[in-house]
Amino acid sequence: MRLQLVLIGVLAVCFGNADEDHGPAWLLASKTLHNQFVVEGKELVVEYIIFNVGESAATNVVLTEESFHPEDFELVRGMTKTKWDRIAPGANVSHTIILRPRVYGFFNMTAADVSYLSSEDASEPVHSYTSAPGEGGIMRYRDFDRKFSPHILDWAAFGMMTVPSLCIPFMLWFRSKSKYETIAQQSRKTN
Amino acid sequence: MVGKKLTKQEELLLQDFSRNVTTKSSALFYGNALIVSAIPLWLFWRIHQMDPYQSALVWAAMTIVSTYLVAFAYRNTKFILKHKVAQRREEAVNREVMKSLGDDKKMSRKEKDERALWKKNEVADYEATTFAIFYNNAFYLVLAIILSFYILKTTTPTINYILTISATSGILALFSTGSQ
Repeated sequence: MRLQLVLIGVLAVCFGNADEDHGPAWLLASKTLHNQFVVEGKELVVEYIIFNVGESAATNVVLTEESFHPEDFELVRGMTKTKWDRIAPGANVSHTIILRPRVYGFFNMTAADVSYLSSEDASEPVHSYTSAPGEGGIMRYRDFDRKFSPHILDWAAFGMMTVPSLCIPFMLWFRSKSKYETIAQQSRKTN
Repeated sequence: MVGKKLTKQEELLLQDFSRNVTTKSSALFYGNALIVSAIPLWLFWRIHQMDPYQSALVWAAMTIVSTYLVAFAYRNTKFILKHKVAQRREEAVNREVMKSLGDDKKMSRKEKDERALWKKNEVADYEATTFAIFYNNAFYLVLAIILSFYILKTTTPTINYILTISATSGILALFSTGSQ
């Protein structure tokens, strides 16, 4: 009985200590554009999602976005540098920024930088990158408007402009026509 | 014979068979043609997003060409319509003129007939002019919209404008030369 209790105690210590041997944290990060069209002067939504696929919590996670130069993009909402104290293993976090392109043309959307400590004992941060959307085109506002805007007010104004050119000649002709057709009908009746 | 004066009837006959219009009619035609040629510019500016400063020269040139061709179409359409309208209105105009001059004993039968003929020509001229303007304007605007927004919608705005205006005014002028 005493031997059995000692054996149970030894086994419990062995399995208890086995929990402390976790692998490091491993972060995978994506960067995606939420717009179907990127247009000059119109909002562009960029979302970052960071997944911890490792076995330990990642700490001091810093996401830094430097590819959207202030000369070319206006930051409408959000921060280009964000920090999370801790991302638990198996968890994910997301971050969104809203930009407004100031120019049109081709633009290469590169990756953002992610740095983190892979374990609680780690002193050197791990540097990695998000995915990169790649090269795309920023459409000129004029071309986007021409293609997609309904232009309801513009068509209404066009309609108003055509009224004098169509209605005035028609009314003048119709008045004369009605007058002489009435006279012709009356003369047929009297005859 | 040199210096022989034409009678009113002969003058009216000459007018009837001539495609020439009076100065007043000409001014009316060119004025209306200019207005209707300028209307599509609004669509090209606002919807096709053409820049007015960059496109001013093209716009001016095509508007002038279109004005000439549309006025040409007005003239021809009026000429064709005038005879038809004159035949239709003859009875009513005669009745109106005889009613207004019936009691005038000073005027001879011949003078009354001349007056009726002149009135008939005037009414036919008026109705033919107004209907020609209305018909050609409607045709021009419908054709311009169809060409610009359906047939030529994939072309660049400048090419779209040049082709739309030249085709529309050209077709109008061509159709007006028909005999019916």
